Amino acid sequence: MDSVFLSAQPLGDWEFVWQQRQFFVEGTRIAVELTFYSIVLGFILGLPAGVVEAYGGPYSKGVVRPVGVAIRGTPILVIIAITYFAFGVSPAFLAATLALGVRSAAYQSQIFRGAIESVEGGQMEAARAVGLSKLDAIRHVVLPQALRRSVPGFQNEFTIVLKDTSIAYAIGVAELLKRSYDLFSLQTSAALEVFLAASLIYFVLTFSVNRGIEVLNDRVAIPGGNY
Amino acid sequence: MAENRLLDVVDVHQSYGEERVLEGISFEMDRQDVKVLVGPSGSGKSTMLRCINRLTDIDEGEIALDGESIYDMNQNDLRRQVGMVFQDFNLFAHLTALENVTLGLKRVRDMSEPDAVEKAARQLESVGLREQANSYPAELSGGQKQRVGIARALAMDPKLMLFDEPTSALDPELIGEVLEVMRDLAEEGMTMLVVTHEMGFARQAATDVLFLEDGELVEQGPPDQLFEAPEQDRTRDFLGRLTSLHGDQ
Repeated sequence: MDSVFLSAQPLGDWEFVWQQRQFFVEGTRIAVELTFYSIVLGFILGLPAGVVEAYGGPYSKGVVRPVGVAIRGTPILVIIAITYFAFGVSPAFLAATLALGVRSAAYQSQIFRGAIESVEGGQMEAARAVGLSKLDAIRHVVLPQALRRSVPGFQNEFTIVLKDTSIAYAIGVAELLKRSYDLFSLQTSAALEVFLAASLIYFVLTFSVNRGIEVLNDRVAIPGGNY
Repeated sequence: MAENRLLDVVDVHQSYGEERVLEGISFEMDRQDVKVLVGPSGSGKSTMLRCINRLTDIDEGEIALDGESIYDMNQNDLRRQVGMVFQDFNLFAHLTALENVTLGLKRVRDMSEPDAVEKAARQLESVGLREQANSYPAELSGGQKQRVGIARALAMDPKLMLFDEPTSALDPELIGEVLEVMRDLAEEGMTMLVVTHEMGFARQAATDVLFLEDGELVEQGPPDQLFEAPEQDRTRDFLGRLTSLHGDQ
């Protein structure tokens, strides 16, 4: 009786997860790549956007601000769909990277704007008083301090982007969560195990990167603190 | 006379929105003059300083450095020639004392790194901070910070130094070391315009004291005359209030 029951279930559910580990590894790799490229793209676009929001004139601000508000106010699923279906960006991985990257830029611009605005006005004034141009003052005095202060904000940003890579599943990118769905339809009894395994992977990634960011934060701290 | 003239301030008016801060200030400075601006808070002393290196723009009037209107000069060029020392030091927090001084040398005066470091080191030594060259601002005392601030401004070889209440943020026991550096500077012949409440410094080092109130230059003269025998009632009232607050200095 027992053996018949067992034979109906050729593999234990955790065993099934283990057997499919290569599938998880591949999904994890895609999720990590998506996250990495999106954060980098977000940095490249978000840092200048933050500088413009802090120091720009009425025209440059008039462009950057509303665009940022619009992007932040649009659900990520819609941004991905627009990128892939309306703009026709392909392959899907590229579309997902662009969508996540642009959305991350909109978020990161606020991290940078906040950090720049937290640098005391006297720093800019002293730099200008020595004769530095505004651009040089931003580059050599304000940004080095602002970037240090923006590091903790990336704990949030990284976590958001990593977990939102799962939305790429909507346009068929086989990242971690998409693969979990596929596996679970292969062996429906393993649903809990499959999703627990995926969650564990997300947790380990988030935890290690957050620890890494804390280490980075200590490493770049100004000796003696900020006065 | 004309070639000894460094700064002309002519009928300067300045306002922040509706609030009129300076209402027709005129004075001049020859080379090696040390002039001290005194007056109640809100009288426009700091604003007057900030107008001279264009951290604040004026509404009316004229300011000329070496005979040239500061509005005809390149702004960064003007600022290179006019050093400024701030009440709150405003040292670059992420840079060492040495780097605070080298930044302007490298970026504004296009000096090479070794030249900038050598000059900055000498400048720090001149304010007694050779040991602290590699310390960060947060690791320095207030008096040390302000001396770095002075070295940073001096390294640019300015024609004129502006001091905006340089000792007001300092603990009393640290004021002396900063004033000493300023007195040495005055003796070396630096042209200085100083906003301060340190009447002792004004007496010892100033060639002239200018009394500002409500955006007007009420009276000016050598310290002995202005402190001992002020001509205007408003000056006398102000000095009387100071004495009753601080005791006779």
